[in-house]
Amino acid sequence: MDLIQKYKDIVRGRGLRVVYPEGNDERLIRAAAECVRENLARPTLLGKPDEIAQKAREAGVALNGVQVLDPGASDKVTGYAELYVKGRDDMSVKVAARLVRKPFAFGAMMLKAGDADLFVGGATVPTAIVIQAASLCAGFEPGISTPSSFFLMDCPQAGPGGAKQMLYADCAINISPNARELAEIAVCTARTAKSLLGREPKTALLSFSTHGSASHADAEKVIEATKLAREMAPGFVFDGELQLDSAISPKVAAKKCPDSPIAGQADVFIFPDLDAGNIAYKLTQYFGGAKAIGPILQGFAKPASDLSRGASVEDVVSATAILGVMAGKGT
Amino acid sequence: MSDRIKEGVIKVVCETLKVDEADVTLESRFVDDLGADSLKSLELVAGFEEEFDIEMEEEAALSVKTVGDAVTFISKVVKEQHG
Repeated sequence: MDLIQKYKDIVRGRGLRVVYPEGNDERLIRAAAECVRENLARPTLLGKPDEIAQKAREAGVALNGVQVLDPGASDKVTGYAELYVKGRDDMSVKVAARLVRKPFAFGAMMLKAGDADLFVGGATVPTAIVIQAASLCAGFEPGISTPSSFFLMDCPQAGPGGAKQMLYADCAINISPNARELAEIAVCTARTAKSLLGREPKTALLSFSTHGSASHADAEKVIEATKLAREMAPGFVFDGELQLDSAISPKVAAKKCPDSPIAGQADVFIFPDLDAGNIAYKLTQYFGGAKAIGPILQGFAKPASDLSRGASVEDVVSATAILGVMAGKGT
Repeated sequence: MSDRIKEGVIKVVCETLKVDEADVTLESRFVDDLGADSLKSLELVAGFEEEFDIEMEEEAALSVKTVGDAVTFISKVVKEQHG
């Protein structure tokens, strides 16, 4: 079955609350109505109610079951501002109120305050705006301080190690992660994979070297990241540094790294930098015929993700379903 | 460029980024010279809004790179919103 369809079935009826900060964009209005129609989530559109109602009328969309909230006029602003400055003595509630009444920050504060479960936005702004709001207002998941992104790769056929659906990270955000950041990306992606792939993931930290076959600072970085990832999340299987063939082919693994806990069956790939990650996902997509779903952001205390500016209504609904599945992920 | 806006901008910059007034000039770059990470820019915008009682558009505010840019940008917004 189509992966997105499967995710929709998982989240259907769970009553997850999703906030769309760009409530007066027609695509988000249509997506909100679709979520209600398909019973995927309970949506909140942020924006001026009269503007949103007008756009919905023009689009012929009924807003039954959709909550519309104007952050500028909301009685939640003071509470969110107090929550924002909690534990800090360097910012006044008045300044914080200015910050949290902006739609992206308000949406992320809804996550923090427990008024929403998922945040999907960024159809009209650069990714940096979504990352800023989610980092500052929603915060990070335990042990994580680096937001990152992943692609879910859905291949037409299984690789030599059996994986057909895989997670790639980071292919979109972190240009040149250090060992610590790379370890965080690995841990986050392993957690995400557990929920999205529905199995215990095998996470390979990739390099041009396998278990010391080459000696170079770049390979050292991946070795260090693997060690840190194991310390951070001892319940997951990580191995590195591994070349791609050592990670995906049991035959090659038996020869090059017979003691690898992954044994050529990796289904989560952590690339050493953005060059490698971005190039790899496009190679898989174009030469391998894989469907690339993403990039989806990860690492926040609750699922929050970006949309591309060209996102369609279906893209928004799909992102909502994926985040809904991520909301159930264990650590 | 009014002195009142320049003073207000420098005050908010010092408070938000915890830098010394003596280290702030109109040429100071927020990220490279004053150590503002991208997250701090949201708090800077909120600080400017409160100081001058204005509303700034997030995406436009992100394009401001130096203290001088901020003074110019805010002067324009103050004029638009307060006449």
